[in-house]
Amino acid sequence: MRRALGRFASNPAALAGLALLLPLLLAVTCYPLWLHFGPNDVDLMARNAPPGPTHWLGTDGVGRDVLARLMQGGRTSLLVAVLSVSLSLAIGFTVGALAAFGDRWADTIAMRCVDLAMTLPPVILLLVLASIIGTGIGPTVWVIALLSWPVLARMVRARLLEVRERDFVIAARGMGAGTLHLLCRHGLPNAIDIMVVYATLQIANAILLEAGLSFLGLGIPPPAASWGNMMNAAQSTVVLEQYIWQWMSPGATLVLTVLAINFIGDGLRDAFDPRSGLN
Amino acid sequence: MPPKAKFIIKRLLAGVAMLLGLSVLVFLLLRAAPGDPVDAYINPSAAMSPQDLAALRTRFGLDQPLPVQYLAWLRAAITGDLGYSLQGTGDAVLPLVLSHIGPTMLLMGAGIALAVVLGISGGVLGAVRRNGVVDLLLSVVAFLGISSPAFLTALVGLYVFAVRLRLVPTGAMLTPGAPFALGDLLAHLILPAVLLSIGHTALITRYTRASMLEVLNADYVRTARAKGVPEISVIARHALRNALLPVVTLIGSTIGLAIGGAVFIESVFNWPGMGLLMVTAVRARDYPVIMGAALVIGAFVLLLNLLTDLAYAAVDPRIKVS
Amino acid sequence: MRRRTVAKLGLSSLLLSATGLTLPAQAQDLRTITGGFDVGPGGMPGNFNPMTATAGFTWLSLYFEPLITYSAELDKFVGLLAKSYEMSADQTSYTFHLVEAKWHDGKPFTAEDVRFTFDLARNAASGSNFAARLSGITGVTTPDAATAVVKLSAPNAGFLDTITKVMMLPAHAMAAIPVADIARNVWWSTTPIGTGPFKFNRYVNGQYVALLANPDYRLGAPKVDRVVNRYFENTAGAVAALRSGEIQFSYVESDDVPNFRADKNFRVIEGNSYVVNYLGFNQEVPLWKDVRVRRAVMHAIDRASIIKSIYGGAALPANCGYVAPAFVPSGLDPYAYDPAAARTLLEQAGWAKINGDKPIALITYYNTPQAANVMAAIQAMLAQVGINVVPRIVDVPTYNATVYAAKPDFNAFPLVYAGLQNGPDPSGINIGLNEKQIPPAGANIMRIRMPTVTTAFDAALAETDAAKRPTRYQAVCKAMNEELPWGTLWVTSRYGVVSNKLKDFTWVPAPAGGPYDAHAERWALAT
Repeated sequence: MRRALGRFASNPAALAGLALLLPLLLAVTCYPLWLHFGPNDVDLMARNAPPGPTHWLGTDGVGRDVLARLMQGGRTSLLVAVLSVSLSLAIGFTVGALAAFGDRWADTIAMRCVDLAMTLPPVILLLVLASIIGTGIGPTVWVIALLSWPVLARMVRARLLEVRERDFVIAARGMGAGTLHLLCRHGLPNAIDIMVVYATLQIANAILLEAGLSFLGLGIPPPAASWGNMMNAAQSTVVLEQYIWQWMSPGATLVLTVLAINFIGDGLRDAFDPRSGLN
Repeated sequence: MPPKAKFIIKRLLAGVAMLLGLSVLVFLLLRAAPGDPVDAYINPSAAMSPQDLAALRTRFGLDQPLPVQYLAWLRAAITGDLGYSLQGTGDAVLPLVLSHIGPTMLLMGAGIALAVVLGISGGVLGAVRRNGVVDLLLSVVAFLGISSPAFLTALVGLYVFAVRLRLVPTGAMLTPGAPFALGDLLAHLILPAVLLSIGHTALITRYTRASMLEVLNADYVRTARAKGVPEISVIARHALRNALLPVVTLIGSTIGLAIGGAVFIESVFNWPGMGLLMVTAVRARDYPVIMGAALVIGAFVLLLNLLTDLAYAAVDPRIKVS
Repeated sequence: MRRRTVAKLGLSSLLLSATGLTLPAQAQDLRTITGGFDVGPGGMPGNFNPMTATAGFTWLSLYFEPLITYSAELDKFVGLLAKSYEMSADQTSYTFHLVEAKWHDGKPFTAEDVRFTFDLARNAASGSNFAARLSGITGVTTPDAATAVVKLSAPNAGFLDTITKVMMLPAHAMAAIPVADIARNVWWSTTPIGTGPFKFNRYVNGQYVALLANPDYRLGAPKVDRVVNRYFENTAGAVAALRSGEIQFSYVESDDVPNFRADKNFRVIEGNSYVVNYLGFNQEVPLWKDVRVRRAVMHAIDRASIIKSIYGGAALPANCGYVAPAFVPSGLDPYAYDPAAARTLLEQAGWAKINGDKPIALITYYNTPQAANVMAAIQAMLAQVGINVVPRIVDVPTYNATVYAAKPDFNAFPLVYAGLQNGPDPSGINIGLNEKQIPPAGANIMRIRMPTVTTAFDAALAETDAAKRPTRYQAVCKAMNEELPWGTLWVTSRYGVVSNKLKDFTWVPAPAGGPYDAHAERWALAT
């Protein structure tokens, strides 16, 4: 573990990512301390104001401070992303590993579940869940998680099928190792690089998916702030052309956040890879 | 019977069972959602009386008990009659769905082909020149591609290239009313296809690079290098083939999901594909179209998953297809 | 191997795509007007049956015609297929004198077609929307080929307004179709026959519909050869196409208007939307029972400010269901913006005990970014006085399912932000406010049971003297202003933008798209 940390610390890209992400996380968590505008403070007289000394990032269509909404939206979007990724990691790994290490029945059933999940057109799932439970953080988390776990399951299975044929696994099996033991001891470590890469990409994907859901009228509905529904304003040509700060702010912040997360994810993968030091 | 043929037949049978399960699932989910086709039909600002609505419901067969409705649909579906759309002109569902698959395949095909070529080359390059300037540059470009929300790039792209620069038309697949011309089609196709490929290219680059790095450190690669095999050969023949295994899975899954259409791109560009069909059908709670489209998409995805698994087994002889 | 799979997929996709492509065979050099005629709330894309249409009449009017229609100013009736009409003294009989006109297939238009159309329109089995509204017709007689007489069981002030939307249909072409099959018959989207200046050409599902000029049109051959109606998924697409010159006309959102006003290549058309936006108070929940609470809501919302900033001044504040001066009496309470007064009223009514700051759901089906801004402003203003509303934007089917449910859960929609058509015929809002219109009889979804309001509406609807009608509606307005069944907010303007390449083009943002006297045969393209 100490070696992994050391490898991580000597990776410039990973450190840059951390340097980008940590201040952002800090700003987002404690913004009420240093920003005296709230994300829902409507001020019709100051609507669509460009960035300036009072409103550092300008205001939106009803005069709310864009920076405040950016911070609040960051909380929402990141929360949705982290929760949904955790959920899909759990589901995806379990199903994929069971399929790889279990017996033929487990494989068949698991893969048919994956197929069923993947054949379900996402639009239907999105609409129905959003309509039944209502829009908001909970349904969005579930919808995003349920949309993304099948891909991970298939990739985990593909990797672990390869691992299963390796000698040490056959040996372990021969010694009477149970499926659970195989899963944790041999499955998890061998799949972790895929999972880390998947998790980093998926967090970004989750934020983007949430944005897209707002575009379709689902996801996090206004007036609650999320990066997704802030970018939604770009649907109007006027906003796209003239009030650029309203959608560029969440857009640029999103890109930077994802960049940082990806660099960190790469660093983590390199750190955990015992062979990466031998180049 | 050779084991591979048995495998295919078993999978096909399982596929039919799955489609059945899928249709039941979709049917139940649709009924669980608030609002039925009649609710979608009424304009809330020009009120109608609930009595008129009750008459409409009877006409659409929505007042029957659920199992009756489902079985009626199933009986017709088995004979190939997927019913008629509840929207507007009441077109037959199967021809409607099939006519939307073509444009989607065209768009996705162009986008994915672009993404595969660019993505794999980018990934390999990045892995081989790891942590160098090229790798970093490619990484950044790939990240920008992944980080941009599809609808935002679509809106910005549309605005910049179609409205401002007038390089390409602002939407649709062909110029309305004009006779068909390949150039016309390509002009309409290029912008949405490029925008579509951005996300996929980035994804494929990342996974290829990660997988390639994993493989480049494997023992057999080191052995090959130690034996004096030229680097290009190491990469192309030894490493690439194995590195591509999870990537092939990814591409297969991507194509499978792609049949559903790129909903955001198709919405912004009014591209007459499956994505647009589904969105408008769901908005109108058009049950026959949704069921029919779900069935067709489901069949495609199952078929593609089967092909992917077969391809996978062909590539890696250690994997037994059973 | 991977490359082969991809190549195979690419080839098969090209082949499949060929099946999805259409090959029209028309000359390239036709003078064509292209527009987004079904963009916006007045449009109904993909619907070609005028009897089941709840909107989209702008487009339908290009190839179908009613007996009478509205003038372009929407203030009086103009004869179209009926060159004149008379109403009997007891107002139960209307005689229409028909023009000489030909159907698109050359056959003459006669009174038989009028009788056939009305019979079809009042037959619910045909799927007609007008069955309920025309149920007062006892019979249509045809004394001769150019005269049709419609008899009603009782005077109906809204009759003429209703029949402006009843498009005349050809008996000779449609009589053979079984009534039950008419609603979504393939006839409508392949070979419909009307009498209008253009005739139906082709429809590509979800993409566009095209009409060709009718050279035998009785008011003159159209000045263009073809009109194409392009469908857009959302208004932004239409605006983009307008700016890039691909289409010459479209409805636009009010936010886009300043850009077009500044552009010399375009002309902006502004018109009354004839829809009054209101906050509906659900009378089945205890929240709004005290009129002081409803008054407090009205005082808490700064309507002038919202109109000025979010609507850019393009709306009129509504203190009752109408803004037309004829229907608005003097002495109405303007419910000026006064948060202090609102707080006092709430205290007097005991709001803390009624609800306090518990969240109240405010649902709406308006889903434009502008509407989202309005909801945010309303939420902030109400929160200022201690009313905690939580706006929820839902899609149309969800909204309708919630409010029209057979056994509704009233706590799901204690407050709604909605709109209802209040003109040109003022009786339009009766269906939402009259106690007799509580579902399933009508659309009074807020379960309003206010005797003064109901009596005023009944009196107005029963008034047979056209000169006295405005006074009756003024009484309705006064009752609405005092009792506040709705928190009426405003009536907005709606906009369309026309390229300067289009000459003599008439368009009005009429509710449901009209119909109105558009004289499409005069539309011309500048050379």
